[in-house]
Amino acid sequence: AMAKLILLLLKLCILFFVVDAVFEDQVGKFDWRQQYVGKVRFSHFDTQLQSSKKVLVATESNVFAALNSRTGELFWRHVDKIGPEGNIDALLHHAQDAVLVVGNGRMLRSWDVNVGGLNWEMLLDTGSFRSACLVGQQGTVKHVAVLKKTVISVHYLSNGHQKWVENLPESETVDYQTVYSGGNGQVFVLGIVPHSHITIVVYSMEDGEIIKQVSVEAPWLSNIPASCAVVGQGTLMCVDSTTMSLNTLDLHQQLQMTQIPLQSLGLEVDPDFHPSLVSHQPNPAQKPLSEFFLQLGPERYLLLQLNNGQIVTLRDFKPVCNCFFIFHFLKDLSQINLAQLQPKATLGREVKLTLHVQAFLKKDDSVGYRVMVQTEDHTLTFIQQPGRVMWTREEALSDVVTMEMVDLPLTGTQAELEGEFGKKADGLLPMVLKRLSSQLIMLQAWIAHLWKLFYDARKPRSQVKNEVSIENLSRDEFNLQKMMVMVTSSGKLFGIDSKTGGILWKHYLDNVPKNAAFKLMVQRTTAHFPHPPQCTLLIKDKDTGLATLHVFNPIFGRKSQVTPPALPQPILQSLLLPLMDQDYAKVLLLVDNQYKVSAFPSTKNVLQQLQETASSIFFFLVDSSQGRLSGYRLRTDLSTEQVWEVVIPTEVQKIVSVKGKRPNEHVHSQGRVMGDRSVLYKYLNPNLLAVVTESTDVHQERSFIGILLIDGVTGRIIHEAVQRKARGPVHVVHSENWVVYEYWSTKSRRNEFSVIELYEGMELYNSTVFSSLDRPHAPQVLQQSYIFPSSISTMEATLTEKGITSRHLLIGLPSGGILSLPKMFLDPRRPEIISEQSREENLIPYSPELIIRTEWFINYNQTVGRVRGIHTAPSGLESTCLVVAYGLDIYQTRVYPSKQFDVLKDDYDYMLISSVLFALFFATMISKRLAEVKLLNRAWR
Amino acid sequence: MSQRGRMPLLWLFIQAGLVLVSCFTDMETGPGAGVSTQPNGDKFKIEGRAIVPGVKTQDWVSTARVLVEGEEYVGFLRTDGSFAVNDIPSGSYVVEVVTPTYRFEPVRVDITSKGKMRARLVNYIKTSEVIRQPYPLQIRASGPHSYFMKRETWGWTDFLMNPMVMMMVLPLLIIVLLPKVVNTNDPEMRKEMEQSMNMLNPNPELPDVSELMTKLFSGSKGSSKAGSSSSGSKGSRPAAKRR
Repeated sequence: AMAKLILLLLKLCILFFVVDAVFEDQVGKFDWRQQYVGKVRFSHFDTQLQSSKKVLVATESNVFAALNSRTGELFWRHVDKIGPEGNIDALLHHAQDAVLVVGNGRMLRSWDVNVGGLNWEMLLDTGSFRSACLVGQQGTVKHVAVLKKTVISVHYLSNGHQKWVENLPESETVDYQTVYSGGNGQVFVLGIVPHSHITIVVYSMEDGEIIKQVSVEAPWLSNIPASCAVVGQGTLMCVDSTTMSLNTLDLHQQLQMTQIPLQSLGLEVDPDFHPSLVSHQPNPAQKPLSEFFLQLGPERYLLLQLNNGQIVTLRDFKPVCNCFFIFHFLKDLSQINLAQLQPKATLGREVKLTLHVQAFLKKDDSVGYRVMVQTEDHTLTFIQQPGRVMWTREEALSDVVTMEMVDLPLTGTQAELEGEFGKKADGLLPMVLKRLSSQLIMLQAWIAHLWKLFYDARKPRSQVKNEVSIENLSRDEFNLQKMMVMVTSSGKLFGIDSKTGGILWKHYLDNVPKNAAFKLMVQRTTAHFPHPPQCTLLIKDKDTGLATLHVFNPIFGRKSQVTPPALPQPILQSLLLPLMDQDYAKVLLLVDNQYKVSAFPSTKNVLQQLQETASSIFFFLVDSSQGRLSGYRLRTDLSTEQVWEVVIPTEVQKIVSVKGKRPNEHVHSQGRVMGDRSVLYKYLNPNLLAVVTESTDVHQERSFIGILLIDGVTGRIIHEAVQRKARGPVHVVHSENWVVYEYWSTKSRRNEFSVIELYEGMELYNSTVFSSLDRPHAPQVLQQSYIFPSSISTMEATLTEKGITSRHLLIGLPSGGILSLPKMFLDPRRPEIISEQSREENLIPYSPELIIRTEWFINYNQTVGRVRGIHTAPSGLESTCLVVAYGLDIYQTRVYPSKQFDVLKDDYDYMLISSVLFALFFATMISKRLAEVKLLNRAWR
Repeated sequence: MSQRGRMPLLWLFIQAGLVLVSCFTDMETGPGAGVSTQPNGDKFKIEGRAIVPGVKTQDWVSTARVLVEGEEYVGFLRTDGSFAVNDIPSGSYVVEVVTPTYRFEPVRVDITSKGKMRARLVNYIKTSEVIRQPYPLQIRASGPHSYFMKRETWGWTDFLMNPMVMMMVLPLLIIVLLPKVVNTNDPEMRKEMEQSMNMLNPNPELPDVSELMTKLFSGSKGSSKAGSSSSGSKGSRPAAKRR
């Protein structure tokens, strides 16, 4: 018994060592990570020190981060909850404190900019947020005022404690919109009764007492922040777009607005344009500047000055953009002009953009500028003064929706060789000559390669740069380097080199609807030289169901010459068939809401093939709002007929997800060899769908989730499982003959994994081909569940070329780690009692809890923020699977689920093996010589 | 065995009593239920402090987050390592401090509908077991994360100490050195050696030492023949080679 136990322990040890992990010297060798923040909403330059390199950004992805202004890299980043609770409403910045208002005024947070840690956090009363400002007194800033719909509160900047909170008078009728302080111990709250009057309430900074409350007639005004600004010694300046006039009001004294028509200043507004104002308050403890900007047209700005109630035009800027300005160092106006014009020249095309400008005084007293430009396609560009682009960040990549990995093309010489076989033979001699010439070219290329290796070896390591560009892209010998085609929610497409992470091409689709669903398909791979590879992106508006197709070359990103069909009807389903047209493009079928099918490409050849194979083309449609799952068959005239329908009553449960198998998946072994040498055959139905449902009742005692395994062709329900006292979100992986899903158990308050495996039994019904229509026996179903000690964000299975390598599950955790969990641990045949047979089969004894070992994190400390998806792709090596995890960040690596069995390991000791060989060789030589001498001596004796 | 088993059980009873006294009536309320049954219910705050012994807080707080029940509620660490996660309805939650560098053990925090707090060890198998933890939470890092496997390094000593190598080298030494040490041409010596050989193997019918050993080992297993056959054969194989 002892020996058995030892044996078992040994086996367990072996099992643990089989599991791959990263070695420390492999860091950064095959993997890379790119960190993003999202589309910038607020930004501030850290100006407390001249040498400071920080730019603070608060983004629409609820991220607050500090960027290095020299390189664009992150100093630190804080990722808050997704959704309205983490939404950043305002960013105020003073010295080394940054104050954020979060979650519609629910939270006030102060961050230490240098450390990146929290100073304090204050929970505010509920009520929708309106405005916030820093309040200064006698030259120092000590407070922050937060204006909500019904209250105003003032907090100490040092610890967040509330100094005072006051209810706003008449808050049912007055809509309070802004708060302003000029640094004189008073806080002005400006509210409005639309189309009637402005209400100004002045609070004392000391105790929150109302000093003054006035109403000023302004029937034309409806929104203060949009049309007004505080300028100079506390003058409210509003622009009225109906009468085209400026209206001024001294907040301290006057009770009436003075109207100054723009015409009297000699100004004219562009037709159909609402003029607006921009002012600047460099320090909250001081008054705003008396200079301000007036925008008169989309491209037209004026710099004006308020001088003793008189408005003076300082400068007229004609071709400028939507700009923010810090004119603290305003000395020489000609230089501002320069700064404004440069971004456009650098970006080169007409795009909507937002500027964040920092001006500073250089050593020689001239004004310097740094400009951060946020363009419509979510690109962040940082420009130093003479128009030099310091860095760019592609923030669109913070929201990748879908992606594909496309094989790179062969090099020119390889393509030449390939072409030789593709063409029709034109005689023996020319073919021989061609053969010889291509061999010569290959020899030449090889020598050039060797020369380059030799040349590079002499240079120091740091100088050798392998710049990857589209021109020198080529497939490597094991097909480990691929092109990652990434689709982002903003409608920008990227082509990224999987080896280095370099962006090789980008393409912005500017007509993408706001809430679009994307589906990316590879219609033609690079394998069909000279036909270019072709990807098709289906963009569907979720509201209307109307879709468009974008056809492009995935290697160069260029739009293809092939014109996609116009799709006038809403699209319900799209399917990529394994059929190819004469140009080797796979056929894409689109089903519209009239259940009519259109094909792309729709050449005669394709239509003919479709007619021939129509009887064997089935597809399914899911209508989760009706709870209906239905199967259809294609008719020869490209109309459809319904074959089956499964209705899941929507009052009880709703369909959450439907998962089929990946079409490019290969299964190597048909069965599993049991301990008694018999074979248990897998049920490998390629048409199997895993349907996940959740109960509509969310009460913890009655909620449940269901799993339905349905044959997509016949509609036959293969298996049904219900998990009681469980709720979603459910993550599912469906592959080979198994389905793994994860859910939340409300009873035990933990995450649980469950695995379903399907087997045909000890005999295979029809071993040559699988047909859904001819499988009389129901498969055997095995199921087991486990506890998982963490919630999960996403899940995917590894994928290899031939399916020989064992499978791992890649699990994205909320902590940012990506766990590689061997499928072996999720095996319903794990025995509770160990027997001789189970040991023979290498089954791990059942234990209820799955463990998370940090050695299994494929991304070690390179955490991936908010991981949303994991994409796996096979490489040319059977042992190696390429993995891309995306979310806020992008992480690419390779995994070896069964270790690297087909290549020498990267730490292979060439020195040792060669020295041993040499030693043996010399030893034999020497011993031979010695033996000869001995024989000779004996002979002499 | 029974003595040992009783003590924790007793302890558990005491704990359970305590639980009842401190009126954790809604112990089984999940967070989901908490929300659904009392949409306007009170919201509470989970407080605590994370400590990495021997490391300044400024060096690690910027990469840390506090996750409550996955990413359902998120909190951040102050520059002194303390944290508070706000707006949490009553229920039971697993609170975790995550950083890419240091490992912190998760803690389960129970909040009653009246706002009483209790922290306990996370036990996913026995979910109702209570092993109290201090509240406000004191979470101490148990060291840096170990992400990497150690490379197998190669050294001369490893090579020499390998049993296979020992097995090859020792007989070689005997074959080479023995004839040099002992003069085989001396007839007296030869006689002595023959005698000693006979001593070692007095009866040729007796089984070999190695076979004896295998029998001894397999014999100890008694009835379980299936098990013994595999380990027995394994045991005898190297012995056979040695002959």
